[in-house]
Amino acid sequence: MLPLSLLSAAQNKPMLVELKNGETFNGHLVNCDNFMNITLREVYQTSADGDRFWKLKECYIRGSTIKYLRVPDQLLDVVKEDQLRAREANRTTRGGPPGRGGRGAPPRGRGAPRAAPRGGGRGRGRG
Amino acid sequence: MADRGRGFSRGRGAPGPGRGGGRPPPSSSEPNKNKREAILDLSKYVNERIRVKFTGGREVTGILKGYDQLLNLVVDEVEEVVNEPAPSHTRSLGLAVLRGPTVTLVSPVDGSEEIANPFLAQE
Repeated sequence: MLPLSLLSAAQNKPMLVELKNGETFNGHLVNCDNFMNITLREVYQTSADGDRFWKLKECYIRGSTIKYLRVPDQLLDVVKEDQLRAREANRTTRGGPPGRGGRGAPPRGRGAPRAAPRGGGRGRGRG
Repeated sequence: MADRGRGFSRGRGAPGPGRGGGRPPPSSSEPNKNKREAILDLSKYVNERIRVKFTGGREVTGILKGYDQLLNLVVDEVEEVVNEPAPSHTRSLGLAVLRGPTVTLVSPVDGSEEIANPFLAQE
């Protein structure tokens, strides 16, 4: 479960972003990149002291200024499921034809570093 | 990507027990088909007034005339919004280049407004 994969799974979901300066932004995530730069739409901005408010149609926030983001709890389950499915897909595709090249491009997608309990009988083909 | 993967498995090819020891993936992994294109399409703001905030807390509005992929901006009729002495006022700066790396926030002025606390109603 990588932070940025969780974040990219949060696209179109509502979230709260607090910046280092204390300002907060409530809005729906439109897009994000590997720097954690984000774009939000339909945003409620709150000043750092919490007593002024603005409505913004959309905004772009530089990732390096973010303190934290709050995302919906359910997102965790969604991402876990996705990962499981991706892992399953990996296993069926490479497990398929046995002994054929074997180590073809490892399709390790996001955040699935462990390649299931195999590997044992592998790599000793030459004896 | 395939090359890196292969090099990796060859490097530690022996069917050692050390697998799955919770090693994090090699640092530069996450090839992630890098979204190299900008996530913000500034073309839709050209000739519109935008609000820009900077690291350090300065804030300006102005009419976007140009931009690049580093988020450097060319902005005309720039008004700095000075909040420091209590009633906020503005200061005219004319035509300016705003340096991308110091930009922390960009949003269109059109469709933005100060409002009353929108969270009171919900609670």
